[in-house]
Amino acid sequence: MKLSNRRLQRHRKIQLSMTSMIDVVFLLLIFFLTTASFVPTERDLESTMRVQSTSAGASDLQPAVVDVVPGRSGFVYRLGQRELDDPEQLTDLLARFDNKAQGAFVRVSDRAPFRMAAAAVQACKTAGFASVSYIPLGDEP
Amino acid sequence: MRLSKHRRATIAEMDMTPMIDVVLLLIIFFMTVTQVSELNRERLELPRLAGAEDQKQTTMTINVDAAGQVLVSGHSMSVAQLLTLVSAELAKLGDDPQRMTVVLRADQRGDCRTVNQIVSALGQMQISRLRIAVQVPT
Repeated sequence: MKLSNRRLQRHRKIQLSMTSMIDVVFLLLIFFLTTASFVPTERDLESTMRVQSTSAGASDLQPAVVDVVPGRSGFVYRLGQRELDDPEQLTDLLARFDNKAQGAFVRVSDRAPFRMAAAAVQACKTAGFASVSYIPLGDEP
Repeated sequence: MRLSKHRRATIAEMDMTPMIDVVLLLIIFFMTVTQVSELNRERLELPRLAGAEDQKQTTMTINVDAAGQVLVSGHSMSVAQLLTLVSAELAKLGDDPQRMTVVLRADQRGDCRTVNQIVSALGQMQISRLRIAVQVPT
């Protein structure tokens, strides 16, 4: 008597071998764990580059020109006749300007620290100037 | 007559489902946070400032380290070589300087000599859009 195979086959469970998948997944995990590096958040300060000196256009108001130049004791931010070493004071002074649509100009000496140049651009942006122009001054102010 | 019980050999099986769930979650996390194309960013100490806007798609990223060395995509180069590279990029953009945005990543410990040289040279090429990268203080 021949028994049918169907009954026997019905109760068989199909089993997937997970071993190879787990192997691959672990490899991927180790790769990402070892290669991942968490970088600090970066943002941008947009500015316009100018080669020559300020060209503010026809206006009765004096444009905001910040010079980053050597002062009596190290490098300073020069705004008109005033020399400042604190970027927050510079921001306060710049905020008082009325002609913000005209933009601000940051003129930087070659020997000035870059952090001060960036801080001057930041001060102009924080004070509300629509555009900031970066002007290289060369070696001498 | 009592028959001896035949115990079937029991196989201890671990339930792998929660582990696989966690591992896959971790992989998805790392895949999403990992930025593969970080070649154009050197490890520099950027000025710690709030910045004005979030970073956008740029045409070129120029790195200037504390010693004033120019680095682009991991390659050290002179300002003259950089300008050749910029010219090539500009040609790809149809020689329209308005379409070119340059991100300048300069080390805050350095001076402005190299940065000024780059700005002057780019300005002469009528490229006027410059973005200074800063690091948001934590």
